[in-house]
Formats: sequence, structure tokens, C-alpha cells
Amino acid sequence: MVAENKNEFRKRDLFLTGALWLISLILPDPHLPYRREFLKKRDFVYLGVLVLLPVIWPGSLFLMGLAGIYAIVALGLSLFLGYAGQISLGHAAFFGIGAYTSAILTTRYGIPTVGAFFASAAAAAACAYLIGKPILKLKGYFLALATLGFGEIFLVIVREARDLTGGVSGIFGVPWFSVAGFAFDTSLKQYCLIWGVLIGLILFAKNLVRSKMGRALLAVAASEDAAASVGIDVARIKIGVFVISAAFAGLAGSLFAGVISTASPDAFGLGLSVLMVMMVIMGGMGTLYGPIFAAIFLTWLTDSLGAYQEYSLPIFGVIFILLLIFFPDGIATRLNTRLIYLISYWGRKRRRERIDQ
Amino acid sequence: MTQLLTIDRISKSYDGVLALNRVSLAVRKGIIKGLIGPNGAGKTTLFHLISGLESPTAGRISFGGVDITGKAPHEIAALGVGRTFQTIQTLGTMTVVENILAGMHTRVPGNFLSSGLWLPWIHKGERAALKEAKQILEFLGLLGRWKWSAMQLSFGQQKMLELGRAIAMRPRLLLLDEPAAGLTPAEVKKLSEKVCQLRGQGITIMVVEHHQGMVMEIADEVAVLHNGELIADDTPAAVKRDRRVIDAYLTGGGRGA
Amino acid sequence: MTPWIHIPQLLVTGITMGAVYALVALGFVTIVRASQIINFAQGEFVMLGGVLTFFFISGAGLPYPIAVLLAVILVTIIGLLLHLLVIYPLRKASALILIMATLGASIVLSNTSALLFGTLPKALPSFSGEQPLELGGVLIAPQSLWVLGATFSLLLALHLLSHRTLVGKAMEASSSDPLGADLAGISRNLMVFFAFGVSAAMGSIAGVLVTPLFYTSYNSGTLLGLKGFIAAVLGGWGKNNGAILGGFALGIVESLSVAFIPAGYKDGVAFVVLLLILYFRPKGILGSPFIDSRRW
Repeated sequence: MVAENKNEFRKRDLFLTGALWLISLILPDPHLPYRREFLKKRDFVYLGVLVLLPVIWPGSLFLMGLAGIYAIVALGLSLFLGYAGQISLGHAAFFGIGAYTSAILTTRYGIPTVGAFFASAAAAAACAYLIGKPILKLKGYFLALATLGFGEIFLVIVREARDLTGGVSGIFGVPWFSVAGFAFDTSLKQYCLIWGVLIGLILFAKNLVRSKMGRALLAVAASEDAAASVGIDVARIKIGVFVISAAFAGLAGSLFAGVISTASPDAFGLGLSVLMVMMVIMGGMGTLYGPIFAAIFLTWLTDSLGAYQEYSLPIFGVIFILLLIFFPDGIATRLNTRLIYLISYWGRKRRRERIDQ
Repeated sequence: MTQLLTIDRISKSYDGVLALNRVSLAVRKGIIKGLIGPNGAGKTTLFHLISGLESPTAGRISFGGVDITGKAPHEIAALGVGRTFQTIQTLGTMTVVENILAGMHTRVPGNFLSSGLWLPWIHKGERAALKEAKQILEFLGLLGRWKWSAMQLSFGQQKMLELGRAIAMRPRLLLLDEPAAGLTPAEVKKLSEKVCQLRGQGITIMVVEHHQGMVMEIADEVAVLHNGELIADDTPAAVKRDRRVIDAYLTGGGRGA
Repeated sequence: MTPWIHIPQLLVTGITMGAVYALVALGFVTIVRASQIINFAQGEFVMLGGVLTFFFISGAGLPYPIAVLLAVILVTIIGLLLHLLVIYPLRKASALILIMATLGASIVLSNTSALLFGTLPKALPSFSGEQPLELGGVLIAPQSLWVLGATFSLLLALHLLSHRTLVGKAMEASSSDPLGADLAGISRNLMVFFAFGVSAAMGSIAGVLVTPLFYTSYNSGTLLGLKGFIAAVLGGWGKNNGAILGGFALGIVESLSVAFIPAGYKDGVAFVVLLLILYFRPKGILGSPFIDSRRW
């Protein structure tokens, strides 16, 4: 799981991620004045950049693959949190449900990975539907807590049901993802698979967001009373987006199991749920590409910090808090405004000089 | 004579406080009905009951022949009841045109799956919706700002936007809760014109208002609530002369808002 | 051997654990009463109380009582710092951001503790000896009595604080009517500041009390914090009495559950209780001044 020559990558990779981020900011604001336009030139640039990244720096393939998996979860979560405004601190559980479903189906029952892939999404979606019906009546802190509780229950069940899930050690030897005999066994092939799935899901999400359902999500976040007054079934919308975001996480989990070849409880705890919520917040609530870039950024960050061993988590926590204090609307939004302010500085300076003369 | 909305002995009590006491009134199709009364009389509560945000403690409400007592707000909205809110609830995070489009939710096709896959009829529906939304914005005089974020509009414009959102539903009954509150005299005049134009299009309208001038001018009938009871329900001229109404406003005695 | 035989002993454990949960819950409620903020780092205060006392005894060779006093003071300072560095800068932020920030603080505190003091569980000597008392066939560790005693003493102290001291009354005022209190000259931020201090002190005392019974290590704070929060919701969100009641209720339910389901699922019981309570009665057993029933 460790890339060779880790140390070489540290500085260069952080720099490149940062540059990527700035590039995405210089391009016109993804908060479209009117969200409708689809597949503008901007989208091709974003998608192109995302796809061609490993060409820019080879050797990052595995990590970019992992980032892509987390990006899928972040994308789903951004619909639930960023658009519909509902808090979930338990999405790692859906991710884990997906991973375990795939792992169990492929290792125990010999089901082909593609079937397991869709079954994982279905399993996560079903759990979300069952949990969602009672929980989604809650608001704010209590919803956050209920989802957190669900996440913890998931972990307890996974650790205890040893016959099914292999307990604390988990399931090993999950086969590589394969379609009709073609196995995704190298980092490059896995990268293409993961980002292919991600791009497909981005298109789906984009369609959703620019349709009436996207407006319904935003309306529910802005004012549930107003939404109900125009005929939006708020409860149904909340469950629908919860189930969709869980399905995304389930798909990601399936890919995760197929790439890491194991499924164990440690990977699916509160820390991961919190990380994914961070991705959505940092990326910017109400955007789709933001959380994806944030997923890449945070995956890199956790990986780079990993070199510092036991210092990594406290440092990560501190960075976390600082990010929240200084960029509550997401890094992109704040930096974007500042960048625009900077770029427009010269124009304003010239205008001021003209006035003074 | 078709009664579009029938309110039959509605009572609503909150933990023992009786907000509405056996109120009965009816609204004919195609008129503007004013609903006035001192603060705390129960006007907004009545609107909440009609639109479904609250359920009555007793009594029945029927709309277009259908009993809507206790139905969920979105069901009632789907039947053709639109409303605006006293504390303005524009969807501030969305753009102006998206606010209008949100109002068209029940009339645009699509669910999660079909929208995500952007099936052909979704595309057609969206195009038609956008066209109509722009027409509504033009009617309201907001077309120039259609791409703006709703938060950037002035207060008066936001009230118009909320009205537009309700109109976008093509409702049969429109409930306007203090639409003139906080508007300048010029804006009130413009609002009155728009509301009359809506009546001309066949929409039945109920208006809760404190702005006596506006209500008396545009309403066909006026109902007066005081302390949760209906004390008058007549033409504006008759209501203005009604002894009990004058007493209610002058001597107060109403509960706090 | 039916499970029912174990009930009395399990009850004792349950009550002891319940007292701990009650203390943690009180810590949550104190902050919530001042500010509507839920401090997910509450459990870490408990953890730090135990871990720091251990450090002062074994690392610095201080006598037990001094070590305890020093640890409590230090954790109180940490709580105040938490307010100054994290909560105060975010005083205008949304609920979501605050949740995330306190979670972040929890991560920092627990992992720094692991860094500085190691990851091995720490134990402390019991206050009055290890010999368990026997009462009708049931063994009670004397430490349990200390825990119970301290819980009720702290409840009493909090009551006196809120109702007899000026500062306490100011805090009460600030939580019932923030605007009114503000107009009366009570600085909301200062009240929240104090609340964090009081909460941290209580948490650390709980940690010191409980470490002799159950080990404390760098990661015990998170789970304890969550269970304490569940206890607070269970008993009646926002009420001190609710926190105590909820704590004991949760402790007993959790402990008794071991008789009926495999032991490994014990930690899950608290979360199942949480989901049940949130679904059926979010106000909690005693009801809550903070939750508007119309909108739940």
C-alpha cells in the first residue's frame, strides 16, 4: 500500500495540489449565476484536469485512486449536506456497508465483482431508507447525533458478528474488480475504473442539481415551510437524497474493497465520517466540484501527514480547526473572492489615479 | 355561486390558549377576500390552518369540494393553494429565477432517477419551465435580475419574488399574508395593481393585511377577526361602518402577537 | 444458570457507571444551558483528568491529593483555552461548523494525550483501598461510593452555583433569555467562557474518580463523551436533573443488557437507546425547555 520513495512526493505533491486548487479558482466561479448550463467549456476543463492528473505526476496513481473513491462519497454527501443542508456524521457506515457487502459476496459466495458492486449500492441504499425514515425528522444537532449513533452501531455490529464480517480483523483476499474477465489489477487500471465511475456519477449529480430535484433540495435547505407551501414533499426529498448519497457511498465502498483487497472496521469509523463532512464544507456547500477537489486535497494531506507518525493526528486536528475558523464557507469561496479582489486591484488602482488627477 | 374555500367552525388552541374560536367563513371563486383584525386576532393562524402547517383542534376546512382538514402542507399545495409568508421566506441561497422555478415544482416532470439520467421529457419540461418562469418575472418587473442571487434583492423585490413563487404554482387560491408590510407607498400601489391583475386571471385571493387603504380598495369582501372570533364578514363599505369592528380596533383588547 | 441471578451485581456496576455518565452529561448540559453549543470534546476532559493525575503521580512523583488538584486545575485551564481558541472565534458560525470544530478539538486533545503520555491505559489507586464491601451477596467497591457521593455533591454545588451566586445566576439568565441578559449587561461570551471552565472541571473530577475503577487511556474520552451526551438527551435535554437521571438510567440499562445479549454489543446499547429516544421522545424523560415539540 505504500508508494516507493514517499519522501520525494511530499513537497511537490502539496504544491501541485495547491496549484490545481488555484487554477480551479481562477476559472469562473462554479456558483453559476444560474445553475442550468451543462457541459460548458468549464466542465471540460475540470474533468480534463481531473482525468489527466496522474500524467502530470506519475507515481501518484494509487493515491489518486483512493482520492477518487473518497471523492465519490464526498459527491454523494455534498448532495445531502451541501445542497439539502442536512448533517450526517455517519456516512462512513454506508461506505463500510458497501465495502463489506462486496467483500462478503465476492469471497464467500463467489459473486462476480460487478454484481457485488451494484449489490453494495443497494445494501447501503436499503439501510439508508430504513434508518432515514425515523431519523430525518430531526434537525441540526440531533440529526448529527442520530447519524453518529448509527455509525457507531454499525461498527459494533461489524466487530461482533464475527462469523459474517471477520470481526476486528476483517475480511481478506477480496478479489480485484473485474468485468467480463478483464481484471483491474494495476494501479493505472484501478485509477481509470474509479475515475470513470466518478465521472459518471458527476454527470448524474449535475443533472440532478440542475433539474427540479436540485431546486427542491436547495429549497428544503433554505426554508422547509416555503418548500412545503409549493408542494415539495419535504420528508420524501430528504429520504431520497439520503438514500442517493448512501448509494454513492456504497459504490465507493465496493471499489474500496476491490482496490485495497480487505475490509476491516478501523477504516470506517467516526474519523472518516468527519473527514468526509470536512470535504464537503471545505469544498464549498452547494457545489459539486468543490468537494471533489477537497477530497483530493484532504487525501493528500492525510497521506503527507502520515509521515509524521504519531504527530500526524494532532496536527491534522489543529489544521482542521484552523480551516473551520478561517474558511467556513469553503476554501474555494473565500480564496476565490480574495483572488478576484487581487486581480481587480490594478484596475481599481488605475481608476483611483485617474480620479485623483 | 361556487364556494371555493369553506371554513366550518374552525377552532385552534395552543396549550389551552384559544387562538381561533369556531370561525366559519367562505370564499367565493374569483374574488379578493380581505382578512383584517388587530394583532393577535388569529389571522396568520387561520392561514396556517388552511395551508396545512397546523391542524385545527376542531372544525373542517374544504377546498374545491375536497376536505383538506389535517392534510400535509405539500398535499394542500398540490391541490392548488399557494401562499406567501408574514416573515418572508425567500429561498435566499438560490437565484431569482430558481425561486420561481421552485414554485413550479408540482408542474414540472421528474423524480430523482429520471432527473439524474436527464431523460428527454425532463429536458423539455425544464425548457418550458424556464420560459414560463421568465414570463412571471416579467409580470413582476424582476426579469432584469433573473440571474441574481435572491439575497441581493431589496426587501420589496423579495416580497414580489415570494409572490411570484406562489403564482408559479398556478394556484386556484392564493393566500397572501401581509404582503404590503414594509413596502413603500409606491410599492404598495404596484402590489395592489398586480393583485388585481391576478384576480383578472381567475385566481381567488385571500389577503391578510393591516394596510387598511389597500385592503378596502382592492377587496370584494372583508372578514374581520378579533380575539379569535369572526366579528364581521361583508363588503368593505359595510365593514368600515360596523360598530363592532371600530370598537375592536379602537379599544384593542387583543392578545399580543 | 439464568441471567437473572446476575442482576443485583449488574445493577451495582450499572449505578456506578451511571454516575460517571451523569457527570459527563452534567458537563454537556452546563455548556448547552449557557450557549446552545454541544461540546463534543467533553469526554476528553474526563480522559485528561485521569491521565494527567496519573502523570503527576508517576511522572512527577507528587502526592495523590496534590496531583488530583493540579490535574483538575490544568484541565479547567484547557477547557477555558478551548473556548478562547476555538469556540469564541466561531461564535457566529453555524451549528454544523461548531459541531465540526468541537470534534476537531476532541481529535487534537485525545491524540496529543497519546503523544505526550503514551497509549497504554492508566490506572490510579482507589481513594480508600481496594477491599470491596459486601452487601447482601453483592460486592461494592468503595470507589463506587466515592463516585456516587461526588456526583451528588457536584449536583448540589451546581445548584448552589446557579441559584445562590451572582455568576451562576448570570449564567442562568444568559441561557434563558440571551438578548435580555445581554441588555442587562451580562456578556454572553463571558458566560460561555465560564461554562466551559465549569464543565471542564466537572469532567476532570469525573475522570479522577473513575480511573481507579476502570482504566483510562487516550481514546476512552470519545466513547464516554458520546454516552454522556446520550444520557443528557435521555434524561431531558438541558436540565441538570435530566442529566443525572439520564446518566443513571443509561448506566443501568447498559449494564443489565449484558445479562441478555452478548457482551460485545454492550457499547451499541447506548446508541440504540439514543435512536429510540430521538424517535419516540426527543424531549427526554423529564422534558426539555429547548425543544419545540411542534417542529420535532
